[in-house]
Amino acid sequence: MIVLGDRMVDASAISIPVEDSDATRQPTLSMVDITKRFDGVAALTDVSLDVLGGEVHALLGENGAGKSTLMNIASGALAPDLGTIVFGGDEIGELTPAVARGLGIAMVHQHPAILPDMTVAENIRVAVGREHLERRDADLTKAMRAVLDDVHFFGHLEDRVSSLSVARRHLLELAKAFAVSPRLLILDEPTAPLSQDSVVLLFDVVRKFAAAGTAVVYITHRLGEVREIADRVTVLRDGTLRGTESVRDVSDADLLALIVGRRLDASFPPKHVASIEDPALLQVDALSGPGFNDISLTLRSGEIVGIGGVVGNGQPAFLRALAGRRSSTGSVRLDGKAFSRRRLFEGAAYMPADRLTDGLMLDLNVRENAAITALGRLTTGPFIRRRREIDVVQRELSELAVRAPSLEAPVSSLSGGNQQKVVMARSMLAQPALLVADEPTQGVDVGARAEIYRILREIADNGVPVVVGSSDTKELEGLCDRVIVMSRGQAVATLDGEEVTEEKIVHAAISATAHAAEAARRERGASRLSRFIEGDYAPVIVLGIVMLALGAYILSRNHRYLSNFNITSVEFACAALGFISLGQTFVLLLGGIDLSVGPLAGFLVVLASFFVLDGKSPAIWALGFALMFVAAAAVGLLNGALVRFAKFTPVAATLVTYIGLGGLAFTLRSAPDGYIAASVTNAIETKIGPIPVAFIAFVVIAFALELGLRRSKLGLRLRAAGSSEESARRVGIPINRVVLIGYLGASLLTLLGAVVLLAQLGVGDPGQGSSYTLTSITAVVLGGTSLLGGRGTFVGTLMGAGLSVQVLNATVFLGLDQKWQYIFQGLLIVAGAIIYSEVRRSASRGAVES
Amino acid sequence: MGVERHREGPAEPVSGVPRGSRNVISRGLLTVVAATALLFALSEVVASSSLAHGTLLTMLPFAGALAIAGLGQTFVVMQGGIDLSIAGGLSLYVVIVTKYPAGVNGRLLPAIGIAIAAAVVAGLINGFLVGRMRLNPIVATLGTNALLFGAVLWYSAGIPTTTTARLSRIGSGVWFGVPIPVYIAALTTAVATVVVKLTPAGRRFEGVGANATSAFTAGVKVRRYAGGAYVWAQLLYCLAAIVHASIVNQPTAYEGNNYLLPSVAAVVLGGTSLLGGRGYLVATAIAALFLSQLDQFVLALGVSYASRSLVEAGALAAGVAIYTIDWRAAARRAFPRRTTTLAPT
Repeated sequence: MIVLGDRMVDASAISIPVEDSDATRQPTLSMVDITKRFDGVAALTDVSLDVLGGEVHALLGENGAGKSTLMNIASGALAPDLGTIVFGGDEIGELTPAVARGLGIAMVHQHPAILPDMTVAENIRVAVGREHLERRDADLTKAMRAVLDDVHFFGHLEDRVSSLSVARRHLLELAKAFAVSPRLLILDEPTAPLSQDSVVLLFDVVRKFAAAGTAVVYITHRLGEVREIADRVTVLRDGTLRGTESVRDVSDADLLALIVGRRLDASFPPKHVASIEDPALLQVDALSGPGFNDISLTLRSGEIVGIGGVVGNGQPAFLRALAGRRSSTGSVRLDGKAFSRRRLFEGAAYMPADRLTDGLMLDLNVRENAAITALGRLTTGPFIRRRREIDVVQRELSELAVRAPSLEAPVSSLSGGNQQKVVMARSMLAQPALLVADEPTQGVDVGARAEIYRILREIADNGVPVVVGSSDTKELEGLCDRVIVMSRGQAVATLDGEEVTEEKIVHAAISATAHAAEAARRERGASRLSRFIEGDYAPVIVLGIVMLALGAYILSRNHRYLSNFNITSVEFACAALGFISLGQTFVLLLGGIDLSVGPLAGFLVVLASFFVLDGKSPAIWALGFALMFVAAAAVGLLNGALVRFAKFTPVAATLVTYIGLGGLAFTLRSAPDGYIAASVTNAIETKIGPIPVAFIAFVVIAFALELGLRRSKLGLRLRAAGSSEESARRVGIPINRVVLIGYLGASLLTLLGAVVLLAQLGVGDPGQGSSYTLTSITAVVLGGTSLLGGRGTFVGTLMGAGLSVQVLNATVFLGLDQKWQYIFQGLLIVAGAIIYSEVRRSASRGAVES
Repeated sequence: MGVERHREGPAEPVSGVPRGSRNVISRGLLTVVAATALLFALSEVVASSSLAHGTLLTMLPFAGALAIAGLGQTFVVMQGGIDLSIAGGLSLYVVIVTKYPAGVNGRLLPAIGIAIAAAVVAGLINGFLVGRMRLNPIVATLGTNALLFGAVLWYSAGIPTTTTARLSRIGSGVWFGVPIPVYIAALTTAVATVVVKLTPAGRRFEGVGANATSAFTAGVKVRRYAGGAYVWAQLLYCLAAIVHASIVNQPTAYEGNNYLLPSVAAVVLGGTSLLGGRGYLVATAIAALFLSQLDQFVLALGVSYASRSLVEAGALAAGVAIYTIDWRAAARRAFPRRTTTLAPT
């Protein structure tokens, strides 16, 4: 029996009739002599590939063979160093994601390019051109629904993607790619997170596309899938082309030889020979927690227990709880002793599935990553003994056969398998009482897998209980002495000894998937109310109520509160802060921050104080305003350029302009001077009744921006870029341009604020303005915009600015001194931030469990 | 390090991964030392009055206070945060150590005790909001900053108090020609560096900053470190406040505002990434010296306060660009040796 990756090669799966590949057929995609290097290391060397229209072309190879790199080049995500790309007969000069989209190239990534802060519908709209949807149905909502139904995605269109399970995110990713009816469809290991019925569905859709003439590239580890779906297969090894063959004409043995350069047999170490004397090392009783329920298991000395089932049925949540990495109820006993969560956290080692984000500290070196669990026993007195640290780490790494340039090499420079072994070394150095490994061989090449299996077995032989979670049934069969199959958070089967076979595991998992699908359908019924509370507009309502209550209270204490004079002055102050805060909102939505808005406003006022003076002609005034515009635009673009092109963090970039603008203002005027022309300030202060026109303009602009944010392409792109830059780039959004526009928008809205400030101050004062930076951030945060980007509203900022000004005003009317202004401000921002973040956390909690 | 003579374990070298050599001197430290040396050389040539004995004796104590405050900011930045409450915190501690004694030397020590207690409380609030409630550090410390200024005004009503004589003697004291605050700053930097680089807690602290999730899966109690950074930061601000109060005769209620931007600038110039991770404490302290001397240098050139800010902005931009821009790639783009776009077939 030949095994590659995690599927047995099953000859009966070869079922599709394949039309003869016609040599005269024009390739849809032709890649010629592609070479790509990363930091001087060759990822691809002179690789050529032709993909014909109507064929499913499998791309095979071990991890690090260059499959994903080659396809990232084909989809425009990466630029090759050398080589030619010909698409549909035309040579493509520079292939960017946007160009690729225009050509009809769609790629389904291993990690979905989704925007977590946006809804399902918005994700589709941002990635799928309007014309594609309209072809489906003139009603866009119906069109999107149809697109989702195609892949059996039964969630609501308005659901936020961050609340979706991993499997459903992948379905969404597939739906987006299918919706554009691509000429070239690239699928990068699409089946890994999908349930069995989704895989069947996926293959059906792929066959339909191929039949319609689409060229399909199918990246996979699984030989069985190649047999099932592909017409031709190309094998890469170490970034070089090993060959392209017709699937029907090539034997598995030949393919394997191409892939690994040698024949590979099943590579599992012998299992534990059970005996009655083996003491029960680990006893889990009715462990329950968010995402899993009532799981019990027993593990005897020397055994490895596997946790299987379709992805997204609570396995990771259970494994985390077992390792004390999240809370649970029920009991865990190790060697007869009860272990609380705290003791488990300290005593159990846990290897997360996603080693890049959860397992490794990529900026630190190999030694530091491995030693972090062992530091406590490497000390003499209070200090770490360096020599002992090196010895201990080195010994562990060589036992695990880690290949690394040196102990001091950054861990990010290692290959996937070696990185995983560093995580393993880290776990072993903890000298754990229990080892919990989630997907220990995911993304690890065949050779390294065998070593990881051997090591896990050795650990078990040494009397440490080992629990392995895996979506790879072949791995469970080969490695584990007992397997618990989970479905919907429950243990649906416990397979023991001889029963641990791929068939039995799959059967137990699949017979339970009907329930999972049912649950997915039920999720559709998430209530309108809960969607609203978790939505972006809840803060607006909350702030409105707070403002009304505060207003009523002040009025009950002081009836002059609603005097025309007070209304005018409050609203005018609100307009100044409000405009600047709207600008800040732009940047915070992008996940950035603009510290320079305050000094910019101050600087612009100082600038105006040289031109907009009594005794100068209106033409000079106009020149002054024009210069303000130019200066604001220049600062915005400079901020954006520093962030995007010079790679400054937003704080560093805008700190530079903050200090610089303050300096410029003082260079122009060392003391307040230059009294603004009265007719201009009067014009700015125009009122309708008690309400200043500036305030009306502020409200109108806030609502207009809000509409733009929800409806316009730019608004979607802005939020997309803030939600996940990487995903936004992959769906073809020009990030640089969007970010530049964001910072430009911030500066131009600050300009409007400066105009109001001009009338308010009436003089060029270099000391004014800076304080608006922090108050604008306060206003935006109160309005419910997240500093992480992607989520927020301009209307919320409107309310936030309103409340900030109202609170300042309240202290005056309630006869409170300045310290109360500070205290109220502090309490408001802390309370607001806590409430919003708690609501969001509870909203996304459901998704994280699975 | 390196003083051990005996070692445990097998005597034969373990095969496999070679040890590799460790970079003892970071790029940040190298850059900032070079820049500082250059600045002093330039000062000597162009503006020698900025290196006059009297000028140095004025500049160095402030540099010391900024260095200590900068170390505190570095701790927070190492956790991927930023501490805006340095302004309110430092102001509060300055007010406490001046107003509480009100000129009476005997009440100085209790005042310092109260200031330390206040620093712990402020740090715990920040640590709770960031570590436990997982608020964005900017938002959390913005809120705390406002509360701290509320406390400043509540306690002092904004009226400045003259520093006690005993505290002034420390600030103006000179040992072997060097102002005492410099010794305090140097000692603090040394202790902080040893704790972070050589103790298990310090190493875990860096690990949490580099990737909190990863540290958590490794079994590190992440909250304790992520939140603890804010407590240590406030304690360092408190020390900086004491030093500051000792060198300023009659500090106002808002002294901390002068530390907010320079402390962040010192951290950034020292090469610690605002994204968190490894911290370069010595480099931060030297960057504080650099910034203080830069002030004196520009002052000695006879230009206004304004151009000082401009020079600072320029220095900061250059300092960040050294780390962020891939200069080799930029050079390659400017002087291409071979086509980076697609070559014709």
